[in-house]
Amino acid sequence: MTVIHPNMADEGAKIRARDVCVFYGEKKAIDEVSIDISPNYVTAFIGPSGCGKSTFLRCFNRMNDTIGAAKVTGLIELDGEDIHGSRMDVVQLRARVGMVFQKPNPFPKSIYENIAYGPKIHGLADKKADLDVIVERSLTRAGLWDEVKDRLDDSGTALSGGQQQRLCIARAIAVDPEVILMDEPASALDPIATAKIEELIDELSGRYAIVIVTHSMQQAARVSQRTAFFHLGKMVEYGPTSEIFTNPIEERTKDYITGRYG
Amino acid sequence: MSPITLILIAIGLGLLGWLAGRAKAWSFQTGDAAMRPASRPIYHAWYVALWVVLPVLAFVAAWSVIAPNLVLQSVLATPEAQSLTGFGFERNAFIGEARAVALGQAPGVFNTEAEPLIAPFRDAFARYNTIGIIVTVLIALAGGALAFLRLKPQFGARTKVERTVLTILLLASLVAILTTLGIFASLVFETVRFFGIVSPIDFLFGLKWGPDILAPPDAVDPSRYGAVPLFWGTIFIGAVIAMVVAIPLGLMSAIYLTQYADPRVRAWIKPLLELLAGVPTVVYGYFAALTLAPMIRNVAVALGATNASTESALAAGIVMGVMIIPFVSSMADDSMAAVPGAMRDGSLAMGATKSETIQRVLFPAALPGIVAGIMLAVSRAIGETMIVVMAASQAANLTANPLEPISTVTVQIVNLLTGEQSTDHPATLSAYALGFVLFMVTLALNFVALRVVKRFREAYE
Repeated sequence: MTVIHPNMADEGAKIRARDVCVFYGEKKAIDEVSIDISPNYVTAFIGPSGCGKSTFLRCFNRMNDTIGAAKVTGLIELDGEDIHGSRMDVVQLRARVGMVFQKPNPFPKSIYENIAYGPKIHGLADKKADLDVIVERSLTRAGLWDEVKDRLDDSGTALSGGQQQRLCIARAIAVDPEVILMDEPASALDPIATAKIEELIDELSGRYAIVIVTHSMQQAARVSQRTAFFHLGKMVEYGPTSEIFTNPIEERTKDYITGRYG
Repeated sequence: MSPITLILIAIGLGLLGWLAGRAKAWSFQTGDAAMRPASRPIYHAWYVALWVVLPVLAFVAAWSVIAPNLVLQSVLATPEAQSLTGFGFERNAFIGEARAVALGQAPGVFNTEAEPLIAPFRDAFARYNTIGIIVTVLIALAGGALAFLRLKPQFGARTKVERTVLTILLLASLVAILTTLGIFASLVFETVRFFGIVSPIDFLFGLKWGPDILAPPDAVDPSRYGAVPLFWGTIFIGAVIAMVVAIPLGLMSAIYLTQYADPRVRAWIKPLLELLAGVPTVVYGYFAALTLAPMIRNVAVALGATNASTESALAAGIVMGVMIIPFVSSMADDSMAAVPGAMRDGSLAMGATKSETIQRVLFPAALPGIVAGIMLAVSRAIGETMIVVMAASQAANLTANPLEPISTVTVQIVNLLTGEQSTDHPATLSAYALGFVLFMVTLALNFVALRVVKRFREAYE
């Protein structure tokens, strides 16, 4: 049974999920989760390890397809379109719903090529000049341009961990997505790099719908406006972040917030 | 008889020492926790056994070299040997015959002159065998007694035994290294001898190969020892034709197996593919020589080629390429599997298709490992002998036409060293020079390839 806070009813939904279940073989990892993701806010998924929040996030760009044993049921819509429908190509879906992973995973190519990778694949730029514009814009939005503009030909893997993660965010931005999924994007970074990523998320919100999975409640409180609490594959409570942290309705949410478990 | 008998005696005594050591160590067990012995009884037992056996083994090794000479010396000192007729070669033959009869390896002598030497040989063998056995037993007893007396509750038998085992393991690993060094040394030695007759310049850069085995060793024509046609043939067959076959097929099968194949299909195909590497090369050889080569010739003739040979480079190269496929594919397989899954996910999450991900991310990332795999495959192909001996030609032609007969370094080495050759003829020595060049090239290829692989591994760890 999911508790949804009342005062967030008609915000419109970028992503609409209804009765979504995910199975890993016999095991049910996600149990009938329904949620509306607002286009204007940062939504955080929190919960103890193994609660299924990352698995659920990966449903939105169908990354669970790449795991042979995983099976997703239920309805997920992006702007009212069924993402599993025959008219939705997974390649197009992933161009519209970008993703940033837990560990920075730049390609072993130059910084420039890392950013240009997506636009080239999706045919967003024909000319080198257009590509240059996209690369500069993406790196600027990711707050990395000033740090790397003189060494765009250096390998992306030579950057520091925090810079690598911002490079991955810039890479995701480069194909101009509508939604950006972030799977614990700062968990492998030091506090200073984490602060920069959080700042960046703040700047990007509004332009993109952002969904972030985090194991840090402080981070969720800092960067998000909406929070969903997951436990044992179910969504327990979903509401405005301030409400969830100061005035949770469900007992389990309260216990988790106050550090009783997790 | 001697060495085996002596070793058996040592092992028997070692067993006794083992039992004695264990019995003594058991008596240390008092049941008092504060007085617990430093090592368990089994280690005391092994300590004594090793002290019995190892010194004996050292003695046997030395004795088996010394004893035959001692026997010979004592026989030669007898009046029967002094009165022996004949010189040099003939005399040695008599002595050898008498020894064989004395050891029971021959029923009787052929030359009657050897007859009187049999009895002295028998005496000498009997004497030195007895000496050998007595010394063996004495050494075993001395070693065992020494070790036995050292056993005390506080004696650290375990560390001693383990250190000894460690040393034995070290010696075992040294055998392989020393053998390699020995091979290398003998190659260098013979190569230097060859270069004393034919200059390295003529050998390495000459364009004509045709060693004249019948020419007298001191009237050698250096211009017949130009190895370039052989180097070219080796590279053409092993590094060009074979790789044209092996690289695409190997890489494609690796891509299929790592990226597309259903795990159940992979579980079947991968072992089958690796089975190819286990086929004896001589089997590939006759497939190349008897099946593929005539087929290629017939096709070529049907297409209008006039000089197509049944010993074409093409047949040998294609079959060698097939043989090499598993090497290329398993190295490529490993390298692509070593690329972190996060990189693949990153590309897929950008909306790249599976094939775009393979082409643009996985393959470039795995490239160093793949290149190293190909280098190892080349080094294996150019050193490969049996296929080319059977399918390639003896005639060293300098040609780029794959339908013509071409010879390789390994084929010539086999030719020059098999049969009854004079060991100091330059034609024979040239085989060592060829082997030396081959050794250096494959060594360099392996060295570079392994370094690349190592750096590549480090990059992702």
